[in-house]
Amino acid sequence: MRMLRAAVLAGFLPLVCAAIPKPADWVPVRWPWMDAASLDLLQGTAVNCVLVRHPEPAFTQAATARGIVTLAVITPGEDANLALAAKVDGVVFEGDFPAEPPALPVPVVELAPRYKMKLGGSAPIVGTYQGVWPGIAANEGASAHAGPTSSVWIDTNTGFLRAVRAFGASSVWLANQPPEKTAVSTARYQQVIAEAAISGARWVIAFDADLTARLARREEGALGTWRKITALAAYFESHPEWRAMRENGQLAVVQDPEKGGLLSGGILDMIAVKHTPVRPVAGDRLSPQALEGATMAVNIEGDDLTAPQRQVLRDFTRSGGMLLNGPPGWKDPAPPTGKITLDNAELQRLSDMWKDVNNLIGRRNMGVRLFNVSSMLSNYLGAPDGKSAVVHLVNYADYPVESVTLHYLADFPHATLITPEGINKALEVYKTDEGWGVDIDRVVVCATIRLEK
Amino acid sequence: MTRREWLALISTAPLLRAAPEAPSAPVAIAKCSTYDEDVTAKLSTLFDQLGGIGGLVRNKTVTVKVNMTGPPSQRLQGLALGRTHYVHPKVVGAVAHELGRAGARRINFVESAWATAGPLEDVMLDSGWNVRTILAAAPGVEFENTNGLGKGKRYARFKFPGTAYMYPEYVLNHAYEDTDVFVSLAKLKQHYDCGVTLSLKNCFGCVPASIYGDDAGADDPNEKPTRGRSDVVHFGKRQPAKIAPPELHPGFSNTGGVRVSRVVADLSVVRPIHLAIIDGIESMAGGEGPWIRGVRPAHPGVLIAGLNPVCTDAVSTAVMGFNPRAGKGEAPFFRDADNTLTLAEAHGSGTTDLKRIDVRGVAIAEAMYKFL
Repeated sequence: MRMLRAAVLAGFLPLVCAAIPKPADWVPVRWPWMDAASLDLLQGTAVNCVLVRHPEPAFTQAATARGIVTLAVITPGEDANLALAAKVDGVVFEGDFPAEPPALPVPVVELAPRYKMKLGGSAPIVGTYQGVWPGIAANEGASAHAGPTSSVWIDTNTGFLRAVRAFGASSVWLANQPPEKTAVSTARYQQVIAEAAISGARWVIAFDADLTARLARREEGALGTWRKITALAAYFESHPEWRAMRENGQLAVVQDPEKGGLLSGGILDMIAVKHTPVRPVAGDRLSPQALEGATMAVNIEGDDLTAPQRQVLRDFTRSGGMLLNGPPGWKDPAPPTGKITLDNAELQRLSDMWKDVNNLIGRRNMGVRLFNVSSMLSNYLGAPDGKSAVVHLVNYADYPVESVTLHYLADFPHATLITPEGINKALEVYKTDEGWGVDIDRVVVCATIRLEK
Repeated sequence: MTRREWLALISTAPLLRAAPEAPSAPVAIAKCSTYDEDVTAKLSTLFDQLGGIGGLVRNKTVTVKVNMTGPPSQRLQGLALGRTHYVHPKVVGAVAHELGRAGARRINFVESAWATAGPLEDVMLDSGWNVRTILAAAPGVEFENTNGLGKGKRYARFKFPGTAYMYPEYVLNHAYEDTDVFVSLAKLKQHYDCGVTLSLKNCFGCVPASIYGDDAGADDPNEKPTRGRSDVVHFGKRQPAKIAPPELHPGFSNTGGVRVSRVVADLSVVRPIHLAIIDGIESMAGGEGPWIRGVRPAHPGVLIAGLNPVCTDAVSTAVMGFNPRAGKGEAPFFRDADNTLTLAEAHGSGTTDLKRIDVRGVAIAEAMYKFL
């Protein structure tokens, strides 16, 4: 069935692509309206793909006339053929379908539960509707005299997205929706867009009920939020080269994305919150090339690796790399159906492993080291030719952060600060004990430091 | 009278003896609305009003204990740490500049950073401080994290001359000994356990977590501390690592308000403060850090400096709208908080009697910003 669908897709895609952007270039939004006039909101934005429920031909026609891709969202139990009557450009199967979706004569995107994502497949887009709503976790210290605590935890999908990307080059869509009964602030919309983008993925833009209603009335405040959302999307879409870059840190985590890597809050996220650049390596893609440039590796797979894979790690250590294996008998859990985060028992189980990882990393610079970024997450990505790299920052606080410092090891004597606010300026690069450093005056929601030879 | 009450009484007995003789020194106050003003010039004026600091620091090694309470990651309403509960890096830079201008040969900024003995520069960077700017403010600027051995090879021992409240001897990082001049650069703010955090309470941070920390070794110091000092110092659940002597009266109190204030008063004797500087330009009210419920940003708009820490703290407490001689239960010494200032006064470290303190520059009444 899957091959049949692929064959059908292969036959139709050239025709489709002649008229609309390639699926890899689709910038998606869940569109709650079916009137053609609503599409005016998309004019001049980077958003070029609307996901709609129960599409109508007139709407689809109007979207096509504007060069906008219309995808019909089909959930379990619904008939995709009804949507095809509206001449949509493609279909999104969203949900936990009991069987393979049917073959269709249009491009198909599957927004599956994480555990059913077809990692490493040939689909141009791989996606899920399951994600945590990112942000700084609420402080549990509610007593009158709670003591200081050392770290801020950030709920994030970045570890999961990196794990998915470690399995292949597909475009990754994260289609989680805003929390129910919550009016999401503009900054939070920007954060969720940015955290997907810095991980090489796209968030399927979705409005909370309040913003939907206010946008429908074209209220100025809502339009302002929409402008900021689309400006941020445009910012990342204007740098397609970033999406082609890969994690560049010296710490590799060997982990099967189909197991623990698909959970949020695991080792990858724990490392991310420490602002240590990390590159996930899928167990079955473990090779000397995958570890090139790494100085430390953490083997979460334990005994599940094959003999050749274990040999790769042995060679890594013989060439001077440091390897941390899980405890004897350690097994990374496959996520139970529908689960996307670790529960307390699993966290407890991970804690021993985490302590070892934390001790191994210490305060070492594993490629880049960031300061004054407790409310941020980052990603260090390198260009395939090694001539440039970027460090993305996303700020999850409601306030701008001032005086961020970046120390990096690679020989990049030029650095440029790029921000969605339009800043594009050369930074003063100075020598540090371990390499180079730059200072960034202010980060509002996100910023990118481009490093070049 | 219970044993506990009796011990508490004898531990405050010096208060009754020493208060009348406690020394006094002038304190200067300046208004400074924002950190964008010329903080260096304001400080310079303050020091001039004190008679100048050249005689104190010229050709000397000066150690400056800065206030960086709690981890850099915990912030009040996302505000920069220097605008709430840390001293502001611009004040730090200005102090470095003024000390350098006055001829200090070496200026060592120190702090026992929360839950780490790593380089202080890293903690400063994590706090949003521009270390390069501070380094450039004067020649001979250095940094040291005093939460463990730091750059030293051994700990310095500070034996209390007489009867201490808490520990007969304090074992600290070498930086507190290897100095000619000791400066406390503190924040104008309240404190849950001690009522106020000023130049005296700032020096509680001299106590290394490697020895007095919750994860200090029972016998040897832990040079990689990852926790605070609650178990040992605040609550007396255990004694410090055996490199330091145990407290004099184990079990006499398990409340931070009683214990911490006494440690602070003891420290004012064993490690005297030569120059107290209080950053009250921006701060927080209601406690010493964002982990205290109900704290809020405050904007006192003042800088205060003095040559005696008790006098400086007394004036600063008055600027905050409090009586510096208030007793337990009176603002700002709520709950179990004992008045650190009067405990230090009883040790003979300085007077809290505002009538005996020469206040220069702006008058207390003009500078007053009520924290309650």
